[in-house]
Amino acid sequence: MARLIRTEKEVEGRFEEVWIVVEEDPLEQWPEGARSVVGRPAPRQDGPLRVRGEARYTADIKLPGMLHAAVLRSPHAHAKVRRIDLAPALAVPGVRAALGPGEAHGLEEEAGWAGAPVAAVAADTFAQARAAVEAIDVEWGELEVVLDPEEAIRRGHLTGEARRSERGDVDRAFAEADVVVEGTYRTQTVLHNSLETHQAICEWQGDALHVYISTQYIWGIRQEVAETLGLPEDKVRVICEFMGGGFGAKNGPDEYTFVAAELAKRTGCPVRCALTRREEHTSAGNRNSTIQRLRAAARSDGTIVALEGEFINSVGWSGWSSPTEGPMRALYACENVRTVTHAAQLNTPPMKAFRAPGFAEGTFGLECLIEDLAARLEIDPLELRRSNYAESNEGTPYSSKNLEKCYRLAEPHWERRHEVRARSGTVWKRGVGMASQIWYGGGGPPSYAWIRLGSDGRATVVTAMQDIGTGTRTAMAQIAAEELRIPLESVDVVLGDSARGPYASISAGSSTTPSMGPAVRAAAADAREQIEDIAEQRGLPRDTPVAEVVGLLEEAQILGRGARGPNPTGMSVLTFGVHVVEVAVDVETGEVRVERVAAIHDVGRIINPLGASSQVEGGVIQGIGHTFSENRLLDPETGRVLTTSLDAYRMPTIADVPEIVCEFVDKPDEHLTNLGSKGLGEPPIVPIAAAIANAIRDATGAEVHELPISREEMLRALEAANAKGRRGAPAAV
Amino acid sequence: MSELRLTVNGGEHVLDAPVGTSLAHVLREELGLTGTKIACNEGHCGACTVQVDGEPQLSCITLAHTVEGEVTTIEGLREHPLVEAFVRADAVQCGFCTPGQVVSAAALVAANPEPTRDEIRHAMAGNICRCGTYPKIEEAILSWQG
Amino acid sequence: MRRAGVELLRPSSLEELDGGVFVHGGTEVVPLLREGLLVAEQLVDVRGVVPRGVRNGVIGAGTTLAELEADSSIPEALREACRLAASPQLRNMGSLGGNLLQATRCWYWRLDYPCRLHGGDRCHARDGEHREHAIFANDFCASAHPSDVAAALVALGATLRTNRRELPLEELYRLPDGADRRTTTLEDGELILEAALPPVEASAYLKAMDRRRWSFPQVGVAAARVGGETRIALAGVAPIPWRLESVDELDRATPLPRAEWKVPLARALVRRALSALG
Repeated sequence: MARLIRTEKEVEGRFEEVWIVVEEDPLEQWPEGARSVVGRPAPRQDGPLRVRGEARYTADIKLPGMLHAAVLRSPHAHAKVRRIDLAPALAVPGVRAALGPGEAHGLEEEAGWAGAPVAAVAADTFAQARAAVEAIDVEWGELEVVLDPEEAIRRGHLTGEARRSERGDVDRAFAEADVVVEGTYRTQTVLHNSLETHQAICEWQGDALHVYISTQYIWGIRQEVAETLGLPEDKVRVICEFMGGGFGAKNGPDEYTFVAAELAKRTGCPVRCALTRREEHTSAGNRNSTIQRLRAAARSDGTIVALEGEFINSVGWSGWSSPTEGPMRALYACENVRTVTHAAQLNTPPMKAFRAPGFAEGTFGLECLIEDLAARLEIDPLELRRSNYAESNEGTPYSSKNLEKCYRLAEPHWERRHEVRARSGTVWKRGVGMASQIWYGGGGPPSYAWIRLGSDGRATVVTAMQDIGTGTRTAMAQIAAEELRIPLESVDVVLGDSARGPYASISAGSSTTPSMGPAVRAAAADAREQIEDIAEQRGLPRDTPVAEVVGLLEEAQILGRGARGPNPTGMSVLTFGVHVVEVAVDVETGEVRVERVAAIHDVGRIINPLGASSQVEGGVIQGIGHTFSENRLLDPETGRVLTTSLDAYRMPTIADVPEIVCEFVDKPDEHLTNLGSKGLGEPPIVPIAAAIANAIRDATGAEVHELPISREEMLRALEAANAKGRRGAPAAV
Repeated sequence: MSELRLTVNGGEHVLDAPVGTSLAHVLREELGLTGTKIACNEGHCGACTVQVDGEPQLSCITLAHTVEGEVTTIEGLREHPLVEAFVRADAVQCGFCTPGQVVSAAALVAANPEPTRDEIRHAMAGNICRCGTYPKIEEAILSWQG
Repeated sequence: MRRAGVELLRPSSLEELDGGVFVHGGTEVVPLLREGLLVAEQLVDVRGVVPRGVRNGVIGAGTTLAELEADSSIPEALREACRLAASPQLRNMGSLGGNLLQATRCWYWRLDYPCRLHGGDRCHARDGEHREHAIFANDFCASAHPSDVAAALVALGATLRTNRRELPLEELYRLPDGADRRTTTLEDGELILEAALPPVEASAYLKAMDRRRWSFPQVGVAAARVGGETRIALAGVAPIPWRLESVDELDRATPLPRAEWKVPLARALVRRALSALG
């Protein structure tokens, strides 16, 4: 029975109150522990297609008569188009149409950053389109450029109001504390660089628009494209069956979709607008850089009495201010906390959500600061974290929290530090560090699924969700198979087309499993209920195997439907974890090798331990890139991106991978949906940088304050530690 | 335009393409073999890896007209035991890099059927995976013979 | 590639060479052509005329880095330089000769800023981002030479034979200046054919990178003992492969402010490389 309720929905740390129609969800959770299918390792259903190269990504789709678009982007970090003449572009052979500023959503007359889209051309081939873009005659009026975030704040160039939080009496707590530590931490601009570039193909069929797009949010694209173009939503069909990575950068349509749509309209042909790899470096979003000025105060018994932070997010020309202060507010039980977060508007490419936005950066600063506190207090870092365990989220109870269990699981890994340190030599020093993780991951309504069963005993889960590579397709199949009590091989999952299924949530903010999973289970339960009814009518026991019952169906089908119920009211749904990292540091050259990572996560019930371990490994490895070698650099004079290619913007290769030990608490969140599962996409990237930095400190005494930990930064920190006469483990407990 | 002869996955093709066209482009656009992916188009990521006479090479910076030797793409490795090994080991996430990974891995195990972890890391370092599937790729290669 | 109508020539003898841009493996030339950093109406595929393979200490310039990596008859420094260069695919494609001629990775150069190497009157790195740039001879141009193989061969005392002359490898390189912006002394139409190595008693190559593989050298140090003499050459520290007479020369390095970190790093690697010679 449907009813209308008001509930809170969280994505990427941003909360909104929504009115939704929800179904009652009377299903009880399964008891803790692996089931016949759920909780057991399952290889990906679409694995063979992807491995054999048979999966068709947006980049592989070719529609008859399809044209290719190229985009003119501002070479200036801040400029206005004074005059633009598209005629020379239209004269290039093969060109079919051209758009100037304002002629498609996203093509702007004022370019606020180098790489901002201004005009576009469609041609028979991409090479022709590019040649045409270069032929466009444009006169720029250059405007003042601001690149420095602190300068921007001084001038009041902000993308939004500063965000402030305060609890308790911070100033008094600092004044009365036994120990105060402070530090400034910086994190760099990081690029998503998914291997499939941002792209969309738009094709009009009458007054309906088909959008093939590499996206994390089919339904969001549909909604935003419809709204922007003034179309009824049902006239926009969005298709994405396989996509090559998103990590937060592909949550919206961006200019390339609107460019393709408008050019398709004008030419009457389908149009592909795809970013090149260079454009991915300049114009596809980023994790913004941060400056964090932090202070912590404690009593000598280890109670953290005060935390204070000033955070500067270099948002860029536009974007939102990610919750860099989040870990400081939420991770520890501390009565007195004050944060202020500034959002600097700069003439730099706009930020976009990137795997735990704000929290990854903020955890680096906070957990390094806590390490500093532990050293000053001469308290073991694990002990210090444990003894400041938050029992509630600023007063709101958790739906579930097993961070203490994570700490317990961390103990044997933490115990290794004596043996690890003992293996230090004169050149290579070894140490162990840790960091805690807190993040979101509860998902939320709405999300829907249908199930279709035929007389062959096979079930099809019908959704219009996307699988961005996290294996959610397989997890949905497992949930359906479990609930229906049929073999996993008998379940197919349909996804990827807004015309062929009901609304599905975004695949961002670690929300697919906790949002779609319960809907799939509810649909399967609905179908199972009907099957049991039929069995009963036939005089069979209700628990007769499904295959036997549906054998009676002939052409008839069992159709089940399910919806994601509301989140628990008055509770914080969060994920927790701990990383324990072993490093070796060459103290003469500054080379750092991450040798082992123990990644322990509490994300409620694990549906597929095989896929889950891949998410953890992936997040850790991406985090290692953030920690050492990835850095998007700008030319300080022109504001243009200098690292525009993958030789300059260096991501980890297989040779950079440490031993990764992955453990899950795997305890269902009893308050959260019929599954008790939270999302896992983001948690693994959150603590890794701090754990590495803390391990470096343990090994050498060197304190790194900046990401990436380049040779330059490592050598600086080693030099500073030498000057202080410090070597080796500070808190030998 | 200039005539071009290629042997791909055992089949001979005669095509016309302007000099300067990359092998990757010919494979994908002329021969419809879209298993080989273009992710950077300048030789920095390995997604476009194909074998030429069994040797992994980057098709995006290979001029189609200069190819001497037999080209093997992922389509030609469809039945290779590595495919199942990758699936079993969950050595795939978004999958965009995966065909290139399999092509490089197939060349490795052809030359060295029981590579060590170090040998795997050295041989596979030219295939970037942004999703970080590397540990599973290593397991897949270690267990490729089933 | 944007230009239609590029001609591809395939000479089978040196006599047939007549202008055009030489290409062998293409790993450098193809991307440069695509980016417009190199312009060619004629591409000359020289695989038919450049020797390939190793015989009696003479290495054909067409030998790939992968072939050298696998060849136990060549000195350790060269082998290691090849092993740590690029990626397996690039090593399969790239030739020794091409590797010696590769251009800097300086982002200003690669993005076609009107810098000194492009004939302009500024070095944009000096006041801009120079953290990966040269610490020697960087007054006019602060670009860093990216070739591991070149540093190894300079340390090994290699001699080149081209279709015009024989010369010590070091003479292939020159610092750019106001009159001439080129970093090589190769004439138009001159083609590197072979590199000859003297007998080498010991050699080593050490390379600092910010990821374990597939990265140009932050600093690369080649050391060799040849004829009783110790030779040291560095990659990544100057616009051309840079010889050092001793580790003390690093005290006279002239790094730009954000490249200062390369000096202690180079010092440590030079000491280790010399140690490795035994």
